[in-house]
Amino acid sequence: MQALTPNNAVKLDAKISPAAPAQSGASVQWAVVNDMQIATAFASAEVEQARKKVLGVTDVSCFPRYGFKGPQAAQWAADHELAIPSSPNSWTLSDQKSLVLRLGGSEFVLEDQMGGVACEKLSSISARVAGVYKVPRADAAFILSGSAVLNLFAELCSLDLRPSALLANDVIMTQVAGISAIVIRQTHNGEPVYRIWCDGTYGAYMWETLIEIAVELGGGAVGLASYQH
Amino acid sequence: MSLRTTKQNGEWLDRTKKINFTFEGEAFTAFEGDTISSALWAAGQKVLGRSFKYHRARGVLSLANHDVNILVTDGIDTNMRADVVLVKDGMVLNAVNTIGGVKKDKNSYIDSISPLLPVGFYYKAFHTPRRFFPFWEKVIRKAAGLGIVNFDYPRILKRKLHTHCDVLVIGAGPTGLTAACVAAEAGLEVTIVDENQQAGGSLGYDRSGNVAMASQLTDLLAKVAGYSNITMITGAYAAGYYPDHLIPIVAANGITKVRAKTVIVASGAFEQPPVFRYNDLPGVMLGSAAQRLIYRYGVKPFNNGVVVTANDYGYRVALDLLAAGTKVVAVVDLRAEASPMAAEVTKRGVKVYPGHCVYEALASSDKSGVRGAIICAYDEQKNVAITAKKITLECDGIAMSAGWAPAGALLYQAGTAMQFDYAVQQFVPSRIPDGIFAAGKVNGIFELEQRINDAKRAANEALRYLGLSAPEVVTERHVGASPSHAYPMVPHDKGKNFVDFDEDIQIKDFVNAAKEGFDNIELMKRFTTVGMGPSQGKHSNMNAIRILAKIRNLPVEKIGTTTSRPFFHPTPIGHLGGRGFHSHRLTSLHQWHAEHGAVFTDIGAWKRAAYYPTVGQTKEDAIQTEAMAVRQTAGIIDGSSFGKIEVHGPDAAEFLERFFTGVYATQKVGSCRYVMLLDESGVIVDDGIASRLADDLFYLSVGTSNAAAVYREMQRSQQMWQLDLGLVNVTGAFGAINIAGPAAREILATLTDLDLSYESFPISSVRESIVAGVEARLIRVAFVSDVGYELHIPMVQVPQVWQALLDAGKKHGIRPFGSDTQRLLRLEMGHAMPGVDTDGLTNPFEIGAEWALKMSKSYFIGQRSLQILAKKPLRKRLVAFALAENFKGEMPMDCNLVLEGREILGRVTSIGYSKFIDRCIGLAFVTPAKTAIGAQFQIRTDNGSSVTATVVKTPFLKN
Repeated sequence: MQALTPNNAVKLDAKISPAAPAQSGASVQWAVVNDMQIATAFASAEVEQARKKVLGVTDVSCFPRYGFKGPQAAQWAADHELAIPSSPNSWTLSDQKSLVLRLGGSEFVLEDQMGGVACEKLSSISARVAGVYKVPRADAAFILSGSAVLNLFAELCSLDLRPSALLANDVIMTQVAGISAIVIRQTHNGEPVYRIWCDGTYGAYMWETLIEIAVELGGGAVGLASYQH
Repeated sequence: MSLRTTKQNGEWLDRTKKINFTFEGEAFTAFEGDTISSALWAAGQKVLGRSFKYHRARGVLSLANHDVNILVTDGIDTNMRADVVLVKDGMVLNAVNTIGGVKKDKNSYIDSISPLLPVGFYYKAFHTPRRFFPFWEKVIRKAAGLGIVNFDYPRILKRKLHTHCDVLVIGAGPTGLTAACVAAEAGLEVTIVDENQQAGGSLGYDRSGNVAMASQLTDLLAKVAGYSNITMITGAYAAGYYPDHLIPIVAANGITKVRAKTVIVASGAFEQPPVFRYNDLPGVMLGSAAQRLIYRYGVKPFNNGVVVTANDYGYRVALDLLAAGTKVVAVVDLRAEASPMAAEVTKRGVKVYPGHCVYEALASSDKSGVRGAIICAYDEQKNVAITAKKITLECDGIAMSAGWAPAGALLYQAGTAMQFDYAVQQFVPSRIPDGIFAAGKVNGIFELEQRINDAKRAANEALRYLGLSAPEVVTERHVGASPSHAYPMVPHDKGKNFVDFDEDIQIKDFVNAAKEGFDNIELMKRFTTVGMGPSQGKHSNMNAIRILAKIRNLPVEKIGTTTSRPFFHPTPIGHLGGRGFHSHRLTSLHQWHAEHGAVFTDIGAWKRAAYYPTVGQTKEDAIQTEAMAVRQTAGIIDGSSFGKIEVHGPDAAEFLERFFTGVYATQKVGSCRYVMLLDESGVIVDDGIASRLADDLFYLSVGTSNAAAVYREMQRSQQMWQLDLGLVNVTGAFGAINIAGPAAREILATLTDLDLSYESFPISSVRESIVAGVEARLIRVAFVSDVGYELHIPMVQVPQVWQALLDAGKKHGIRPFGSDTQRLLRLEMGHAMPGVDTDGLTNPFEIGAEWALKMSKSYFIGQRSLQILAKKPLRKRLVAFALAENFKGEMPMDCNLVLEGREILGRVTSIGYSKFIDRCIGLAFVTPAKTAIGAQFQIRTDNGSSVTATVVKTPFLKN
């Protein structure tokens, strides 16, 4: 993962976060991370820290992702020394820096966290293997933090996402705000957070919806920079 | 005169906080915690509203959220239920359904002509002669409905939330509270909900004059409060039951959908009124309403009251009235057999009339209240009043207690089988679905001690259902006098003995309905409208069933009940709407489109650029300009919303053979073929293109609107077929750009090394190459133009390629075109679009798509139906048509009918003016006799004129 390079100017030739159409505003700071333009700050660090404690929403669509599925997918992952969750609908960390989600029994999604390289490594493999099908990922991805996050989910998701029901390594594929999404709980830089992934084409809608409720609950948008350190 | 009592133990008022408000222009004061009705009643205001049909004066009836004649408006909200809505400082209130106010309602004359307006009269009176119906319809519509819709109503967010618990207890009376404690003691997460503002149920007001009952409630509430695992929700009602124990809880600020592992229904019962003449006067109220007034709001129901009862409960009411300082003139008991409680009230100086009924209540001179009651003996066998010896009692109010009807709506909705229990004269659950338990009055258990016992039984059963151990508790069924009377109806020659207060329905209306043949409870409901008012029969359905049973001389259980459906209680539309999520998908070019003036349209879940008008340009001009660019030079459209699906694996071709109508096993790598998906009945679902990228990889592109449904159907089919393949939906991962027009190839050639010559890259072929530095799948299509390329590229890189194409095409005058323009262009090409030129009944034969069917295949979805359809004559066929040259008349629209005289031959499916062809062209369904080239037919336009259309060949461009 590349380091952040804050810049106010929107770079037209870069890939842009799918949530970006909903993130306009003079105060938004942008940077190109992993070849994608992403919002790194929406307000001062103090304001964002306060939001994070209540309900912070951060766009992390720029994290690299790689998807594959098929009857031989688990074996293929093992062949490439990728740690995978042993049970369906759960997640694990591979090399401590790459999130591996197992969707059902035979589909996997990798997401490199800060410093992770697994996606890049697997992307470089061009050979097609019987029983393994690459699933191009174009997700919008978000981190939700803070004490009111379950209040937000109460309005957006019909499932019980409290820690007593959504266990530490559970992966839930469900509907959030009426669209298909993946939800997990995760600890990010020591902070307990929730993660949401949805199809990138719904990214702006999801961002608008999350922020609308987050603001009502006393939180708001938090830039990627707050997770850099 | 104020009817406010001294402070009652457990009352819901804060007497330190005074509230000022107005009702119909008159100033009133109240205490915080008063409802609108309790405040008005305390101030001596008896007429609180007017009835729906006859505009009769009405007052407090239940004080339990069902006083639907007492609906008020504060100018913003309408139909506020005054019996439960808390009064607020500064409120300016008016009753609905009056002309001139509740006291001098100009419509009150209707009551005097009520004999002319029996139920169902308008069904018969006004539908003939037909020419008068529009007039009567206006009159009826004006009279119908309650309140005036406020079209300036502010948008107030009502959230819809989801919560979860182990046990949901519905009803926070003594039964529910006890059950909650048992479940909480076992460590379960319990939610308990009650529609009242405070918990306690009947324990809070049914005291029989005994103040110790208040402390019993206090102790129980304290116990509940001691459990941190109990969540108490008051002022909210459980509105319905949905599968897997999903219960929407409706509160003033929104809806909470509770998903419970198990549900205990302790919802109690609705007190039922006896039926006698003028039982609706202000001052005649249910016994429980009188108790609520006293103990919740510190209001005396009346000064000199008569209690008419048909059970022992009335005696408890009498004792409570006495405790409040009301003089109880008499207790009139329909039952001949003396109640064991009679001695107690007699001891307090109250005369008891066993075997008597209230024959009629006497109205005050202005019919605004009660001045007395005429009582007489009652024949319980024949259910008639014996009027030989009538006694007139002077009083200013009557409390009524005739029995109960279970609040069993949620049980019914859950699929509970109910049976009629003659011991309690009530329907009780006989078989309840797994995970649901009933306790207390709704279960036919009435004695307080037994209700608490029943709560423990139900809670323990719930614990065992959840896998916990809990002892068996046995509840004793009811013994002794029934809490409900079998037939608390008193016929009267002059009628006005109301069964349904919502709709002003009297006993005679049921008799007349039965005579008309509406003698089934569901038919009777619809003919008389009993139970169809805002209280949904909570006080009338049971009496209606009893009356019908008597008319038909059948036992009550043979009559049955009407169907209970969610929602249990009228719920504002705003609650159902909630936040109003409108999910939508954006392509990665959305911002570009917006910045370049696109007008967006919703197609499926997508926001698509429809066209790009320049300043001052009309939609029609913009579309024609864009279309001309495609015809004369080149245009590009963002096609990222197309459905895009990869089929991987050795059985990929076999899958397509089964799924679509054509042939794919022999399709060469690098080629494309048309795909058409049917449903099992042979109806066209969607179409698209299958591009074979490898022996074991097909890339499908299908329509925008149906993409999700097509992929879902592919997954479903694969589940059945279990072929060796993998399906990957790449709709969101890949974007697409279509560059079309005579200059398209030249422009594209500047951005790729791929050989674009027609020989190397002919129509209906696919190539993988690099375009503008981006890996792309290029498909030669001829959807909008003979020269066209679809470029399928990663969604995030679409802007890069889009810009490169615009730059490369600048010298050719390339311009973007939108989806509206695309529809015109494909029409010029003569292509039918599923969903636009087909509907939910259209088969391939009807659009002339026989060429797309390989009927000799062993199987494809819909094949069997097509084999049957092929043997039947066609009923309609899609044809291309053109209007006359230089047509200047009223332009037909999509869906305008094709007519021959009064006979409908079909309809227009697409129509538009093509500047390039300079004709109005379109597609239409017509009968087979009208399909020959040159045949003419008439289209009726929106203004009623007829336009002649002529069948022509396609594509239009070559006509």
